Amino acid sequence: MTLNKPWADFLDELGGIARFATRFFAQVFRPRYEGAELLRQCFLIGNLSLPLVGLTSFIMGLVLTMQLRPSMVEYGVESQIPAMVAIAVVREIGPVIIALIFAGKIGSSIGAELGSMKVTEQIDAMEVSGTNPFKYLVVTRVLATTLMLPVLVLIGDSIMLFGSFIGVNIYTVTSFPLYISQAMDSLTFQEFLPAILKTFFFGFAVGIIGCYKGFHTSRGTEGVGRAANSAVVVSSVWIFILDLLAVQITDLLGYN
Amino acid sequence: MKQKAWNNIKLGVFVLAGLLLLIAGLYLIGKDTNLFSRNYILRAQFSNVEGLVVGNNVRYSGIQVGTVKEVKFLSDTLIEVRMVVEEDMQSIIRKDDIASVGTDGLMGNKIINIAPGRTGAPLAVENDLLRTEEGNSTEAMLAKLALTNNNLLEISNELKKTVQNINTSRNLWRLLNDESLPASVLESLANIRRATEKAQATVADLQTIVADVKAGKGTVGQLLRDTAMAVSLADAVKGIRQLENRADTLATQLSELVTTLDNDLATGKGPVPAALHDSLMVQKVHSILSRVDTSAARFNENMEAMKHNFLFRGYFKKQEKEKQKQAQAPQQ
Repeated sequence: MTLNKPWADFLDELGGIARFATRFFAQVFRPRYEGAELLRQCFLIGNLSLPLVGLTSFIMGLVLTMQLRPSMVEYGVESQIPAMVAIAVVREIGPVIIALIFAGKIGSSIGAELGSMKVTEQIDAMEVSGTNPFKYLVVTRVLATTLMLPVLVLIGDSIMLFGSFIGVNIYTVTSFPLYISQAMDSLTFQEFLPAILKTFFFGFAVGIIGCYKGFHTSRGTEGVGRAANSAVVVSSVWIFILDLLAVQITDLLGYN
Repeated sequence: MKQKAWNNIKLGVFVLAGLLLLIAGLYLIGKDTNLFSRNYILRAQFSNVEGLVVGNNVRYSGIQVGTVKEVKFLSDTLIEVRMVVEEDMQSIIRKDDIASVGTDGLMGNKIINIAPGRTGAPLAVENDLLRTEEGNSTEAMLAKLALTNNNLLEISNELKKTVQNINTSRNLWRLLNDESLPASVLESLANIRRATEKAQATVADLQTIVADVKAGKGTVGQLLRDTAMAVSLADAVKGIRQLENRADTLATQLSELVTTLDNDLATGKGPVPAALHDSLMVQKVHSILSRVDTSAARFNENMEAMKHNFLFRGYFKKQEKEKQKQAQAPQQ
């Protein structure tokens, strides 16, 4: 049985990522735990992404409101803007936009960092010196992305809704408590919880793909750039694929 | 090392912020679904719930108090709705309160409205069945609207006929097209104004007269105001009364006289009854009268004979001439 090269490469990579993920799960619950390194990675990945996420979220909320407004006014449901924006932001725009920005910033940095370590043979050196490089480098980073993205999304969602509040108040006067109650009245747990849950998977995808690309960098410094690039591209694509899966699963479970 | 600790603190703040937002979000969403407050269950039975589903809001007099927990069939004509209501409402909702299915706004979600029953029934407790009322469903409203539409159609048809009649009416249009009409209307108005002015003047005059009368001026005024007059009137009335008394006496005397006469007639005493009762005398009177009659006729004959006698003819002719003269005199 023969496959043409692109297909073979694709399946090879898919299998590689799957094996990498299995290795991650095998290592994650086994001591010794790299607690300090995990916290350092969480700080680097979570805190340092917040300004970027906050800025884009604020602009996104403001723009979304201003873009929606003319249509809503035309239909005479101007008062439904907070509800509409809240549903859009919490269910879809917040998780996906923030995950994509996260992938762009963190996926590339992980890919480049591990890639350069790989090509400069630091990883091999680590292995020789008795430290488990997978545990120290991969497990901490993947855990950090998995745990930090939901936090970023929660904060980002709030900033988006605040941006939308500003957007509403550009044209009319709506008090903040009224805005919050209008926005939250339309939301249910069936909308809120799956949206938060899927961000864990998005974070995991960004981390595991960034690490895989970095860990499997080859052909010197040129490969580092390619690893960083493809880490962003593949993790972005995976975010959308996971989003598609998430909406279908919630639909199947009747939570949609 | 110090930098690392500082970074960890920042990370802690970051994660804490995320968790707080998560909790706040869960609370704000869960507030309306009563996940975090103590609740009790109330029931209501409807024949049609018009699309009510689990999770729809329950309102008491317009305030959100709970959500619909379950909608299930009891039989083919009866549906039971179980509602989760805040425990605070246990001191408000009574057994006789009325639940109805309504709509949030014109196009919004279905809701259960609970209205106070106002009959002073005891408070509702867990699993109590509330009274229900079939609300104004959209279908019923549309049916009524259709009726209204038909009525409107009839009205507009009638209006059309009326307008057509007006349009085809020649007399009306002649009246409307008459150019002299405004002038006459204006004239009439002027007349009315003049009449009103006159009426005003009359009223003013009347007012003066009334004022004069009040002040005691003029005959009427004196009549109304003069006290001496009243005294003389009273005297006059007294005189009339005395006259009446005398007339009474006279009448009594007359009546006595008549009674006496009657008695006399009945008993045949005195000259009058004798004359009335004597039949012989009647015969005599009769013969006398017939004789007088005959004598008069004869005398008449004699007189005619005298007229024709030559001795007296001249006298009669002269008398006739004078008569004629007298008749002509007043005519001149």
